[in-house]
Amino acid sequence: MKSTKYSEKVLDHFRNPRNVGTLEGDDVAVGKVGNPTCGDIMEVYIRIDGEKITDAKFRTFGCGSAIATTSMTTEMVVGMTLDEAMELNRSDVADELDGLPPIKMHCSNLAADALHEAITNFRIGRGDIVAKEEKSAEPEPGCVVGQDEYLNKGVWLVVDDPPAFKDQRTLILHSGDESVETAIELTEQTDRVILLTPEKTVMTTPELEKRLEESSVKLLTESRLLEIRGEFEVEKALIFNIDEDEEYELFVDAVVIIE
Amino acid sequence: MKQVYLDYQSAKPVDPRVIEGMTKYLHEAFGNPSALHQVGDDASDALDESRKSIAKFINADEDEIIFTSGATEAINMGIIGYALRNKKKGNHIVMSEIEHISIHNIAKHLERLGFEISKVPVGQYGKVNMRKLERRITDQTILISVGMASNEIGTLQPISEIGKLAAEKGIAFHTDAVAAEGLAPIDVRKDNINLMALSSNDLYGPRGVGVMYMQKKYRVNPIIIGGGQERGLRSGSEDIPGIVGMKLAVDIMNKEMKSEVKRFQGYRDRMIKQVLDEVPDSYLNGHPTDRLASNAHFRFDGIEGESILLSFKDLNISVSTGSACTSKTLEPSHTLIATGLLHEEAHGSLQLTTGRFNTEDDIDRVLEVVPDVVTRLRDLSPIYKKK
Repeated sequence: MKSTKYSEKVLDHFRNPRNVGTLEGDDVAVGKVGNPTCGDIMEVYIRIDGEKITDAKFRTFGCGSAIATTSMTTEMVVGMTLDEAMELNRSDVADELDGLPPIKMHCSNLAADALHEAITNFRIGRGDIVAKEEKSAEPEPGCVVGQDEYLNKGVWLVVDDPPAFKDQRTLILHSGDESVETAIELTEQTDRVILLTPEKTVMTTPELEKRLEESSVKLLTESRLLEIRGEFEVEKALIFNIDEDEEYELFVDAVVIIE
Repeated sequence: MKQVYLDYQSAKPVDPRVIEGMTKYLHEAFGNPSALHQVGDDASDALDESRKSIAKFINADEDEIIFTSGATEAINMGIIGYALRNKKKGNHIVMSEIEHISIHNIAKHLERLGFEISKVPVGQYGKVNMRKLERRITDQTILISVGMASNEIGTLQPISEIGKLAAEKGIAFHTDAVAAEGLAPIDVRKDNINLMALSSNDLYGPRGVGVMYMQKKYRVNPIIIGGGQERGLRSGSEDIPGIVGMKLAVDIMNKEMKSEVKRFQGYRDRMIKQVLDEVPDSYLNGHPTDRLASNAHFRFDGIEGESILLSFKDLNISVSTGSACTSKTLEPSHTLIATGLLHEEAHGSLQLTTGRFNTEDDIDRVLEVVPDVVTRLRDLSPIYKKK
């Protein structure tokens, strides 16, 4: 079956998604799920009165079935008790949509998971259950594999000749305000500057933050550089996504590590 | 509402003039070219004529044209056939990171057979880096394969330079010309091309026909063994109607390519300018200038390609995307990743490729709806942040 061979119901929810948006308030919980490999990110918001779900909203980045399944889930859960909603699973949602193409059953059908996460978050907040302990403190990031090997072959500890970065896809590790400034300056040389930070945002001065936002610098948050790869010179960076616990290769020409 | 077709890179309609000219060979001149009677002679004459025209189209000689069942088979013969034939000379092959997927899969197959494959990275616009290509060559290298243009982002490769380098080093040069044929002139002599794959459909001929060009003194092992047609290189009774169809498609190209390409350039430049102007946080994928005349390839922050494609489908517009959600493997386009994009960026891509039967009205139609489609999907998206 073609991956886009959708039922009329799926197409209807794709064309006219129900309950798009977000909710706010003390009685609201949110669950977020995502899979970076197949590119779907879903947020489900629920409003809860005692044990009952009284309202639901969603936002989705993803393919047709990702949008349709979150839309359908928000329709199905309003009126349910929390226990009932915890029972709702992926195949219930797919069935209600008259089925999904087999290849879309997994990663584009995470809406029920987002719903369960929202309920769990709500129950934790109310004190019904205890949050699972966060993963033990992250291991100290070791040095980047390949940093010495590729030093001056695409790995730079200082940027003293910006024009040498012309059209180079440049990855800069956030190590303080100087690295942010360097990233912004390099956008004059190349369309592609990526600033990498293990944090959720780039911590810097308000002035730099504003300049960064207005610049073409691409932010890569919650990520670490594990390894630099290439034949003879820098060609790829192995990036670790902390949030998703996944590694992937990114093609780059230069890596700037200002210590 | 009339269907607007902007996916010429994935398939082209057969030109009605081609259909008209080839049907005779389905029922009147239907003979087997190997047969010695008149009906057979009619077929073998048509085969010879076709070979002559197609050879001329790429500045080759007739005996350098081998008909196949399409470009995929031609690529298989050109790369696998050459590697197996020449394995005593070396076991190393160099190709680019942004070859068509069929070539990446051939590379995997050859690795299992004991060959070593080096892939040359491309720059941010998709061009093969010559310095990196040259550094990958070893004394074991027998073949370099780089496509003339990217079938996805349309970037043109420095074919002349690669051909020259390969010739200097005494290494065979194979190129997959499918994305570029009919959009740019091909001259195998000038560019030092030794092996090349062509498809008939990409010239508005019928599908199921292709050509492997093989320069004299180069040798490949056949992939298909049988009755010894095509000098033993490609057995099986020749598909005369299909081959004649490809020849007729070439004849039309000879007359019309120049003006047609100018027309596509106009469409392309209009699409690129207007989309980038009107849609915030939109970008062009591929090279700003060195790209196929027919190719406009965009990406939009915060939205996903299959949703874009479905939205256009509802508006009776056929487009394509490099998003994972439309691929068999659920992986985003290897070409977009090779240009340095992150997965989330590669997902939000839109490929518009024009062709012979497009009109200005088609371009108007698509340009009219792009901003609305993008805005609607961004309104649903949790990750789009307006700058």
